This record gives sequence, C-alpha cells and structure tokens, in this order.
Amino acid sequence: MDKRIIIMGVVLAILVFGGYISYTMLTQGETLRISTTTSLYATGLLDRLGEEFEKTHPNVVIQVIAVGSGEALRKASMGDADLVLVHAPNLEIKYVNDGFLVEGAIFAYNYFVIVGPPDDPAGIKDLRNSTMAFIKIMEAGEKGEALFVSRGDNSGTHNREMFIWSKACIKPSGGWYIESGTGMSQTLEIANEKGAYTLTDIGTYLKLRKTGVLNNLEIMVSGDPNLINIYSVYIVNPEKVDGVKYKLAKEFMDFLLSHNGQEIIETYGLDLYGEQLFYSAENTDVNELKDIWNYFATS
Amino acid sequence: MVISLYTLLEITIRSISISGLATLLSALWSIPVAILLSISQSKMARLLTTIFNALVGIPTVVIGLVLYLLLSRSGPLGIVNMLYTPYAIIFGQAILITPLLISFGIEVIGVRTRDLIEMSLTFGASKRQVFTTIFEESSSRILAISILGFQRAVGELGVALMLGGNIKGLTRVFTTAIALEIQRGEFELAIYLGLILITVDFIIILILRLLGWRK
Repeated sequence: MDKRIIIMGVVLAILVFGGYISYTMLTQGETLRISTTTSLYATGLLDRLGEEFEKTHPNVVIQVIAVGSGEALRKASMGDADLVLVHAPNLEIKYVNDGFLVEGAIFAYNYFVIVGPPDDPAGIKDLRNSTMAFIKIMEAGEKGEALFVSRGDNSGTHNREMFIWSKACIKPSGGWYIESGTGMSQTLEIANEKGAYTLTDIGTYLKLRKTGVLNNLEIMVSGDPNLINIYSVYIVNPEKVDGVKYKLAKEFMDFLLSHNGQEIIETYGLDLYGEQLFYSAENTDVNELKDIWNYFATS
Repeated sequence: MVISLYTLLEITIRSISISGLATLLSALWSIPVAILLSISQSKMARLLTTIFNALVGIPTVVIGLVLYLLLSRSGPLGIVNMLYTPYAIIFGQAILITPLLISFGIEVIGVRTRDLIEMSLTFGASKRQVFTTIFEESSSRILAISILGFQRAVGELGVALMLGGNIKGLTRVFTTAIALEIQRGEFELAIYLGLILITVDFIIILILRLLGWRK
C-alpha cells in the first residue's frame, strides 16, 4: 500500500513537472540565440530591441545569453550562439581572423568613464586625458591615498582598462589595485563601498546610479577618444560552425542596423535616466568609428 | 524594474519543476547505489564511499563548466542539442546532487539498517531480498535525503547559469533571476526573490514532512 502511494506520487510529480517543462519548450517556436555583453542586457536595451523584432517576427523567440565579451565570443565560436553583440575590438579581431565571425558591423557606441569618490584623492576630476588620470591614480595609490578596482575578467571593459594602463606604460599591481573578477555592476558596487576609482561603461553606471546604489561615485573623466566604447554585431560563420541559423541572425542584424532599430538605440533610456545611454552608428560617420575600432583592435 | 506576478509564478513553478525532476532523476540511480554500497563490505565499496564523500563539496560552476563543454554544439554530446534548455539544467543538477544523495544515503539508510541486514542474512535472505527490504523499510529516510538533494539543487547557481543561460521564459530560475537583479542593481528585488525562494522551500518541505509522518 505504502509502496503504491510512493510510486503514484513519483509518477504524478514527473507528469506534472515534465508536462510543464515540455510545454514551455513547445511554445518556444523558432529561436535565435544571441550571446551578448552584460552591459547591453543589464541596461534593458536588448529586451527592448527584442520586443520590437518579435513584433514583425511573431514566431521567433530571442534567447539572450548575457556574459562578458570574452565568454560571449568563446561560446559563439563553440557553436552555442547564432549572433554576437560585443565591445572588445582586440578580442573580436582574433575571432574574425580565425574565421569564426562574419559580416561584422558597428551598430552603436558610447563612452567609458572613469568614476571615483567625490573627494577625488587622486585629483583627476575634469581631466580630459584618461592616460594622465591613470598615472595620477597610480601615484596616489602608491602613496596609499587612492584605490582602483579592476574587472579583471577579460571583458570588453577590462580589455580597455589594460589598454589605457599600457598607454601609460604602467603594469598595475600593489595594494591599491584591486581585481574584483566580477561583472560591471558588482565592480561598481565594490568601488562604491571602498571609495575607489574604476573604469565603467556609461550605461551601466547611469542605470545603477538611478537605482540609488552608487551614492559614493561620480564621473571623473570622460570624453577622451581613448574612452570610446564601440559595440559590434557579428554572425557566427555557418561554414565554420554547425547549426548556425544564418538567415534569422541576418534578419536580426538587418533590423539592428535599420533606421527603426537605430532609433531605439539612440533614444533608449532618455526618459528614464535623463541621459543618452547609447549612440547609434547611423548618426555618426561610420568610417570614423571603423578607424577607431581598428586602432583598438590592432594596438 | 518590477517583476510581474505572472513572471514570479512562472519562475517559481519552473524552479520547482526543474529541481524536482532533477532530484527524482538523481534518486533513481543514487539511492540504489547507496543501498548497494552500504550492504557491500568490500574494499572497493569503501573506496567509492570515500570518493563520493569528497565529491559532495564540488563547486557548482565546475560541474556546470564540465557539462557545458560536454553539451556544447562542438562538444561530444552537442548533437542532442540540449544546452540552454530546462533539460540541461535537470541533467546538470541531477549529476550535481548525486554525490550528496549517495553519501547521505549510505549514512542514513546503511548505518541504521545494519541490524536489519544482519538479521535478514541470518534468516538466509538473498542479497536481492535484503535490497528490497531495506528499500521498503527506509522510504521515509529516502524522502528526507531527497529533500536535502532538492534543497541543494534549487539553491545552486553555477549549473543553472552555465547550462541554462538564464534565458527569459525558458531557463530563468530563482537563483539566476536573483543574480541578474543584482547585476541590474535592483538589490531589493533580489532580496524579495530570495525570501520567496526560502518560503517556497519551507512550504514544500512542510508538505513532504507531513506526508512522511502520516505513514
């Protein structure tokens, strides 16, 4: 008797749970898998773009895998995504050269900013030069007056940080240099707690600032050409990687670069944050952006 | 950003379904192995017990990464196309909690039924009969171990993130949703989600315990 109840319970549980799981799978229609950098997802931009795309493609479901740029590229090259949205030119160029990614296009840009505590112990506020600012942070850091938090995770932001250190001819290390090994949000929160400087994309910073988490961080340095943050889209090469949904990926890419898609990027977050989070490629000289991309990719 | 009630319900049902199925799947192979290992007196059994004991604390991301490499399109099992589906999480969590179920299974079922084993063997029962007797006698203990396994499964992040990808409406479970809200800076929401997870856990255990006691 006991045995029968147990078996019945188990069977019932499997039916109910399995039924639910299978139901969600079946209702999923055709899927497009995008691996993307966290900044595009955490700000909500990709959800907004996805909604718009699904309006004209009702049978398509967009699956977003939000990870750092390094991981996003690696996963795509292993065949686990159809489309990649990233912002790490020096990493992207390797995958492009190896033939994993095709039809690359720049679809948006914004800026990295150096943020830090309001009392600004390194005295970098309103400097226009990121290299100069990094040198000052290191000098103050070695005197024990300032701290810097690094992502340390091979993401797009981390790669840019290392680029600026190399421009400044500094190999950062020591007690003032903290490697968080976490995403942008956590890194900002650590910097906020410790009263440290860090490099961040403007989107994530404004988003978090809005939620009231970052009351101890202000923008210190912005507007340096070395701080331009370029977002590119690539299709995973169907000739090199099996199972890529090329046609669908291409359709999403075309949408992203269309006037409709570009307008969403340009205006996204204006109402919420009072500041533009992303700038569309459409309103800029694309060749100039490409030159900047090349500069970061090859240096 | 506020999560709608519908999304919340969806995440709750999904989390329970996925981790529930993972626990059942894992119990399917873990409990028999645990019983076998506790009956057997061989050196091999003792070695295996030690190995399973050591594996209980394996980091979830390590399991997640190993299974990711296995299930990736370019991996050896890529052909089944299971990565980033709920099935992948079920599979991963089932593997994750296997050492836990076996280790506790040996402790709880094996040790306490040693008398039973000796008695059955003196009465001339076959190993198979001993096996079924133990199974029948320890159903409530098996339930208790399964609850532990379910807890570990529903509360882990690494496997769900690596194998599920935290895809909205498909593989987003409690822990991955919490991680995402932290990333978005919505700390309050993350805490609420955590509290709901604990409450749901509590209710499930309460129901299961009540059912177990009644017998």
